[in-house]
Amino acid sequence: MTIYSLYIYDRHCTCVYYQDWHRSKPPRPSVEGGILPAVSHQVNPIRPDETTVAGPTYTNPRNTLTSMSGVVVAVNDDTPAPSATTQPAPPQSGLTFDEEAKLVYGVVLSLRNMIKKLSGKDEQFVNYRTSSYKLHLFETLSGYKFVMLSDPNTDSLRFVLRQIYAGPFLEYVVRNPLVSMDSKERGIDNEYFRTSTDRMIRGLSVFQ
Amino acid sequence: MAIHGLWVINKAGGLVYQRNFGGSSRFAVTCNSPLLTTSPISEGLPGLTSNEYLVLAGTLHGIHAITSRLSPAGTSSGAQVIEGETFKMTIMLTATGTKFVLLTSLAETTADVVLQKVYEVYADAVMKNPFHTPEMPIRSDGFDRRITALLG
Repeated sequence: MTIYSLYIYDRHCTCVYYQDWHRSKPPRPSVEGGILPAVSHQVNPIRPDETTVAGPTYTNPRNTLTSMSGVVVAVNDDTPAPSATTQPAPPQSGLTFDEEAKLVYGVVLSLRNMIKKLSGKDEQFVNYRTSSYKLHLFETLSGYKFVMLSDPNTDSLRFVLRQIYAGPFLEYVVRNPLVSMDSKERGIDNEYFRTSTDRMIRGLSVFQ
Repeated sequence: MAIHGLWVINKAGGLVYQRNFGGSSRFAVTCNSPLLTTSPISEGLPGLTSNEYLVLAGTLHGIHAITSRLSPAGTSSGAQVIEGETFKMTIMLTATGTKFVLLTSLAETTADVVLQKVYEVYADAVMKNPFHTPEMPIRSDGFDRRITALLG
């Protein structure tokens, strides 16, 4: 029984916050421009060297073989293999974080629509389970979506997501004048919110 | 404890069998059937048009593939149970890629067992039927009858 990760999306479908705990395959850093700043420091794009051309191609030296990046090959000659240092050793998820965040949102949105359609009324999608994880959704009236991935055997964690909303989120995001909500330019990550969410999750009985 | 419906989705994501329970509704999904026929309303969930069921089955097929890639720990199967506030969908994927989906109330605990039995009936009444074309809509009275006996 454990909790893997937490995603928060705003009503513009963008991921504004991410945090993970017992994840055995950490997400690969996002590509440049893939996510907003201030979502999570652990998935922020890795800044390439000044001489390296920014873009999704820099992480993989093989990509320089593609025809579209002929210019990059010439530029990279000055600083050989900058990518060697950018990839950490532990096994990583096959997806970059921005791709993963989009897939999570896509699944949640499709399932939400499917449940609404099938029930014929305004019924909410609550969770789904696979053999290795369970995804929980809590949606606020303002359109924020709280998504949590946990062990498949946990009961519904909707109340936890509600608590995060009613506690840390309202206190350190909504009432925080330094966080510009709905800006479409920045996430909502700040030290107080992260610490207090972390404390709340670590205090749960399902978190071990 | 109620069973609302049963879907069979082929390996390409096409809905080959759909049936609601609770009411007495059933229509085969065929390529040239008049679309936009409304099925009678079952007690738990409202009936949708056959077109809507086709779209939902296709969506589910896609979601199922994506959910297996989102695993935070090791490899994962696709979604097995999807829950709403008043009902849930239990999905069984066979080795050949056919999906059996059972729509039930949340309290239903035997959905897995029921799906296994449906699979057996499918193997007997559909796959052994020489007149059945694989991956095409199932229109077999034998299958219908046995499903009625099982879930009715």
